[in-house]
Amino acid sequence: MSSGQSFIDQGDDDPRIRRPRRPTRMRVSRTASIVPHNSIAGRTLMLLIAIMTFLSCITLGGVVLVQKSAIAWSSEVGREVTIQVRPIEGQDMDSNLRASKSIAEAIPGVGAVRIMTEAESGKLLEPWLGAGLDLSLLSIPRLISVELSDPREFNADQLSENLATIKGATLDTHSAWRQQLNAMSGTMVLTGVLVLLLILVATILAVVFATRGTMASNRTIVDVLHFIGASNGFIAGEFQDRFLNIGLRGGAAGGAGAVLFFLVVGTISANYLPSEAGSQLSAFFGRFSLGWDGLLLLILVVPVIGGLTALTSRLTVRRFLTQIS
Amino acid sequence: MIEFDDVALRYGDGPEILRNLSFTIAPGSFHFLTGPSGAGKTSLLKLLLLSLKPSRGHITMFGRDTGRLSQDQLLDMRRHIGIVFQEFRLLDHLTTFENVALPLRVQGQKEADYAENVAELLTWVGLGDRMHAHPPLLSGGEKQRAAIARAVIAKPDILLADEPTGNVDPDLSTRLLHLFAQLNRTGTTVIIATHERSLLEDFPTPRMVLSDGELIIE
Ligand SMILES: Nc1ncnc2c1ncn2[C@@H]1O[C@H](COP(=O)(O)OP(=O)(O)OP(=O)(O)O)[C@@H](O)[C@H]1O
Ligand SMILES: [Mg+2]
Repeated sequence: MSSGQSFIDQGDDDPRIRRPRRPTRMRVSRTASIVPHNSIAGRTLMLLIAIMTFLSCITLGGVVLVQKSAIAWSSEVGREVTIQVRPIEGQDMDSNLRASKSIAEAIPGVGAVRIMTEAESGKLLEPWLGAGLDLSLLSIPRLISVELSDPREFNADQLSENLATIKGATLDTHSAWRQQLNAMSGTMVLTGVLVLLLILVATILAVVFATRGTMASNRTIVDVLHFIGASNGFIAGEFQDRFLNIGLRGGAAGGAGAVLFFLVVGTISANYLPSEAGSQLSAFFGRFSLGWDGLLLLILVVPVIGGLTALTSRLTVRRFLTQIS
Repeated sequence: MIEFDDVALRYGDGPEILRNLSFTIAPGSFHFLTGPSGAGKTSLLKLLLLSLKPSRGHITMFGRDTGRLSQDQLLDMRRHIGIVFQEFRLLDHLTTFENVALPLRVQGQKEADYAENVAELLTWVGLGDRMHAHPPLLSGGEKQRAAIARAVIAKPDILLADEPTGNVDPDLSTRLLHLFAQLNRTGTTVIIATHERSLLEDFPTPRMVLSDGELIIE
């Protein structure tokens, strides 16, 4: 049957039937949502998704910060090795230092080599031993900092072999420390990813419960739609649209909150913290700077959460619709 | 079009409230379904709407055994059936216009295409100026007219109406019956359940009378 034209016979001969007036001008409006907008479950769910998104973003941001700082430290540390010369009875420290320096300079890939003064070495120990201590009384090892002009060309084994001729000289490539750093940052990244997964699972569960609740409380609507022949796909689509909307709005709010959080914390750590505290924090978190790629990753969480919400609710609605029939 | 073959219906473990129903309804026919309150008129309409399954017997509609339909096929068949519920079942959060347009929307039509038809039909049933009101603000008769408009808007092949004139004045109820008659003239099979004797007198059509769970066609 065609639906393009009216079946109302306008020239009806029955005088009791009023002729239709000209159709009133239609208010042009967006087609209304079949699922009511202002259901309480919707607002609660939106808040919940906002919180979940915020937590996901914070976790992800933390992972990014740790990862970035670890890479930065690792490459910084990798551009320098240290030769340690321990004082040994009967050995002349100064000549040992000079000999070590020239051995180092002969190795390919090595840039500037600098013998650190006694005072500089002492300064490094200050945090542990406190200031104002006469270090000359202690026989502490002296350090030679060896900058690498080309870390790939540099052969650490060759240098430490050559250094074997000098008593008390050892090479420290910080490799143990770097390994530890990598292990630690790896653990933190893994933990972060795990937490992220748990948050996503919790979000899915919450959406399943909320969807079932919404379906149950909108049962009359579902029934009426079924009576007028709406397919399950149509009904699921209507509910999915609502949930996509809720998911995206909640997600956007949570994501915006997280971005704001990182900006504020970054600004505070850069400008307001006393320099010492600031530098300690920034040593750990690289001045809380996520960078553009980090921010982009955070923003990507929003459509992921929105899509996940929509998909979960669609599957839940489908199940509900086949169960009630 | 519709064929009942020894159909019976019971709710749960209760007694059979309908039994030995065997009849055919020809395409394009017009029927009144009558019987005292509680006789099972609404139940029979629900069988016709495929929202209840018979506890015994077979119902064939549009040439298909309805017992063998999948849920999707069943929902698809409902698009060819218009229904006016005794209790209207309008959606309170949608306007009258949106309620009436719902069957078209469900079939995937765009508002721009159906807006004028819906407005015209609403005007015709006297709801032209109540178009943007929500059902809770409508009177009983207005709700009834909105429910009727929703049932006929998609020009169904079968129209089922449960007491469609229970809440309106005699003048309007005659007009509404003429709407059904007009729809019937364009080929729609119409079945109206009512216990209003006065309605029946105006229309010399076959009557299906339910009594004691059995159906007699007069
Ligand atoms: N969902 C149900 N569960 C159990 N019994 C029901 C149910 N619906 C109806 N009945 C019973 O079935 C019988 C027929 O009810 P039905 O609503 O079909 O009657 P009716 O002819 O439409 O009555 P009325 O004219 O008052 O609308 C009644 O005895 C009623 O109590
Ligand atoms: Mg009834």
